[in-house]
Amino acid sequence: MYSLLDTFISWFVLIFGVGAPLYVIFKAIGFNGFREITVYSKYNTFLYRVNPAIKIVFAVVIMMVVTTTIWWIGAILTVAVLSLYITLEHGKRKLYIGSLFIMSTLVGSLWGYAPFVTYSTLSVVFPHFTPDVIWTWPSYFAIMGYQHVLTLQALKYSFQISFRSTAIMASALLLVMTNTPSQILRTLHRFHIPDPILFSIMVAMRTVSFVLEYLNESIKIQMMRGLGSKHSKYLKPIFFFIAAMQGLVPTIIHIMRGGKDTGISADTRGFRATKKRSYVESTPINRLDYYMLAIVVILVVMDVAINIMGFGRTIPYN
Amino acid sequence: MSKAIEVNNIEFAYLGSNDKSLSIHEFSVEEGESVLITGLSGSGKSTFIQCINGIIPHIIDGTFDGSVKIFGNDTKEMKVPEISRTVGTLLQDPERQVINYTVEEEVAFAPENFNIPAAEIKEMVNNAISSVGIDHLKGKETLKLSGGELQRVALASVLTMDPRILILDEPTSNIDPEGTNQIFEFLRKEVGKRTLLVVEHKVERVLPFIDRVVVFDQGRIVIDDKKENILNDVSLLEKLGIEIPENMFLARKMGLKSYDIETVSQYISENRIALKMPERKIGDKLSLRTSGNVKYDTGFDLNFNLEFKSGTITAIVGKNGSGKSTLFKGLIGWLDDMHQAVSDVKIETPEKVIKDNNIAERGKIIGYLPQSFDLMLINRTVKRELHYSRRVRGNSNSDSDIERITKLFTLEKYMDTDPLMLSQGQRRRVAMAATIAGGPKIILMDEPTSGQDYYHKKNLGDEIGLLKQMGYTIIMVSHDMRFAFHYADRMVVLDNGKIVADGTPEEVFDSSEIYGLLPPAEFSLRRGIIV
Repeated sequence: MYSLLDTFISWFVLIFGVGAPLYVIFKAIGFNGFREITVYSKYNTFLYRVNPAIKIVFAVVIMMVVTTTIWWIGAILTVAVLSLYITLEHGKRKLYIGSLFIMSTLVGSLWGYAPFVTYSTLSVVFPHFTPDVIWTWPSYFAIMGYQHVLTLQALKYSFQISFRSTAIMASALLLVMTNTPSQILRTLHRFHIPDPILFSIMVAMRTVSFVLEYLNESIKIQMMRGLGSKHSKYLKPIFFFIAAMQGLVPTIIHIMRGGKDTGISADTRGFRATKKRSYVESTPINRLDYYMLAIVVILVVMDVAINIMGFGRTIPYN
Repeated sequence: MSKAIEVNNIEFAYLGSNDKSLSIHEFSVEEGESVLITGLSGSGKSTFIQCINGIIPHIIDGTFDGSVKIFGNDTKEMKVPEISRTVGTLLQDPERQVINYTVEEEVAFAPENFNIPAAEIKEMVNNAISSVGIDHLKGKETLKLSGGELQRVALASVLTMDPRILILDEPTSNIDPEGTNQIFEFLRKEVGKRTLLVVEHKVERVLPFIDRVVVFDQGRIVIDDKKENILNDVSLLEKLGIEIPENMFLARKMGLKSYDIETVSQYISENRIALKMPERKIGDKLSLRTSGNVKYDTGFDLNFNLEFKSGTITAIVGKNGSGKSTLFKGLIGWLDDMHQAVSDVKIETPEKVIKDNNIAERGKIIGYLPQSFDLMLINRTVKRELHYSRRVRGNSNSDSDIERITKLFTLEKYMDTDPLMLSQGQRRRVAMAATIAGGPKIILMDEPTSGQDYYHKKNLGDEIGLLKQMGYTIIMVSHDMRFAFHYADRMVVLDNGKIVADGTPEEVFDSSEIYGLLPPAEFSLRRGIIV
């Protein structure tokens, strides 16, 4: 028989998985902090001087390496890329905020995967798989796609594969923090990426920093209106999570309404007028770019070597 | 003179709608002419503008018939980028238009799209920046600019291609008085240099610069007349809900040929005509006392000590960056996660003192209506939205209270509708009703008239007037001096973090120009006149 306490714990764990990362983002990072790691700011250390094309290649290679090698390579690369944040403007602060963000991504990905990993997947991942059950979910959780039980192996597997997303996230943020949207547009255009995709990327880069600001405003308005005010302050994170969920639709609609104007504004300024675009600022390749390119080549060679050494396959883990 | 724009028998219905949003038989604009386009929200102005710049029929789907010709070329036969070389369009909200990081990158966006050589672009960018008077903004980051500055950057970006037709679609709706003055100053200089179509609710501000007035109603042109003849149409304009400056009404009533403020003022003065001032009333009962200090690491320092009385409408005004928003955030306890700010804001009502920044505690006594009011509409129906505050707070309001609020904001018809599907004016009313339904008696409103037409502003004014009579304390941050003159009992002027004026609108407007706040025509007409 599933007790009331078990039900409470199950729901608490479920909400914790989604709520904790959001809570970290909103409370510890705040929308100003989130803006700091998603927006370019002018500075002059080597990462700002490296050609954006090389940085895009670097991010792509990071993605390639973490998806084709064993999990701890992804973990090492996450730490390595994060440590580069120290060289940015307000480096210590960006490293701190970036680390919190990566941590919340890790927790979010872990809880996003773990309850859904099937026995069949785990038997492929872990040879001679014998499940170590650590929690049994209420039967109705199956409606959400949850497996009947949560195993230690599911947690372990989810933790490991989460490093794929953290390394990619860290390098993508590095690109965004050290290049203006137009520099990235210019570079991607040279890679012959179709214009509509370029424009979407550019608008996304512009609006990403506002998403949290609007959502934050929506949450605070709900709190002002009294959400959770009748309950203990210890339940505040749960109400915070509820407010975030409730605020998503108005936030997205608010952003979409703005997106329509952004599109009209670009189209009425000749966007997609010609196949070629000219650029006022040129981005020549300099010596620094060759150094960075050498790192990229080393990463590719390392990827091949790791695969040859037998650490390439993502599964099975043993 | 050639025809810049020729419109023949156009009709347009949005995809999925059977109703025609636009139906115009014939319309034309000569090259170099300046035309004011006005009308209520939803009257078809923006749809019409989108037919001129080719967004309709090329980007927005729907049923489009008829022809729009730009210098003899049919827009149906052209692509939008091709049209955009001739027709430049500046939209309402600068934050939604500007997409680049630096000012120069933004201004260079259009010529880069047209693959113009870099050396030429640099010259075009410099010319556009100079023409709008924003040389001092070169090299600045667009994210750090004020709304007014950003709108001028967007304008420079539109002007880079030197379009022969320039459309300004409510260019001052979302910016402060200083930014508004700068946009109108640009317009004044631009007249005659190119064909101008200005969509604007602030008729009074645009009339000096234009040749012709076109008024839309329900997708049709109902007035198309020379500026000089507009006095004959005053009654119809009023009936259509268009914001008409009082000097025009008076000029028409007094049979004057000119409606400029000096002429009308002189006539009033000479004939000792008494003009009534809006009634002001400061309540007796103290409802809120607040004092505090907010310091940013940028050096900005806000200091205030204010008292608000119940049954009073207070407008807090000032230029962008003067500290209005910071003051509001301090009052509602939203400064806690702004890492750059150190704040100590105390609020006190006759019943209690709140020192910490607990949002829920402050929300019990203060209701907040944000500028982006859509963000508070989280429920699926208007009914649920109104009951939400009551439900989450406990039984602070009875069903009859909700019924009364529903009637007050005339929302009876929409109770089962999704609030996000309503028009802008209706959404604003739902948000306001939901704020009131929570039970607070002090209501803070952030730019409540932003983007609203005269009709909706008047509704808002009437609503807050009723709330005032019911004993509510209304505190609003506003850039709308006309609205403040008509409805506020008290004005507080902030400048560089300090309260520099505090009194009735008449007292404040006497010296407000030094803080960049231009008094409305209604005040200028009454200045120095004994009533």
